[in-house]
Amino acid sequence: MKLGVFLSEYRAGADVLDRLTADKLGIILVGNGVYNAAVKENGKASSVLEKKASFYVLAEDLESRGFTAANVDSRVKVVTYGDVVDLIFNDYEKTIWI
Amino acid sequence: MGKLTIGCFSSLVGSLSLDFAVKLSEAAIQKGHKVDLWVSGNAVMVSKKGQKAFKDYSFVAKKIQELVTAGNLQVTACEACAEARGYHKEDTMEGVKRFSMDWYLASSFSADRLLHIGGD
Repeated sequence: MKLGVFLSEYRAGADVLDRLTADKLGIILVGNGVYNAAVKENGKASSVLEKKASFYVLAEDLESRGFTAANVDSRVKVVTYGDVVDLIFNDYEKTIWI
Repeated sequence: MGKLTIGCFSSLVGSLSLDFAVKLSEAAIQKGHKVDLWVSGNAVMVSKKGQKAFKDYSFVAKKIQELVTAGNLQVTACEACAEARGYHKEDTMEGVKRFSMDWYLASSFSADRLLHIGGD
């Protein structure tokens, strides 16, 4: 199964991600979940980014929290709402929100 | 083009998940998809008429009304959730339906994609 996961929280949800299995996993960082893409604590990026997955972050939610694409980890692709629609319809069969 | 069903249970004020659902709906519609938006729990309040815009408050009622009026977005509110909050049929935003949860079930079954956004 191709599974797209919307992660809307920071410092939460990683345990749920650990329990998910998919042939193809995409993690779309939205809301406070964008901090996983842009914040390094003690020089270390979020452990969420260590998952075997494709990562995306919503540009609008990133910018509303004072970040730019320059702040985003190289493993994460910055996307728009339109891109998210395409991910839902073209890349992932199922989506969940955590 | 496909149909996207979004179920949202998040609060109107205090959570931005409902804003996300509306903005995603608009983006999907702009790409030619149809969108069903089911609002339940505290999210039903987004379908109530007479909302006022305040500075620094999110205000998605206007966008919902535009999309519903254009005929591209179907919004249905959980009737029981609304009544439990003292929000009655006559208070419903124009073009928005109220129904029991089997509407959401039927919409989910006929959708190409489903996104369920839980409450907070």
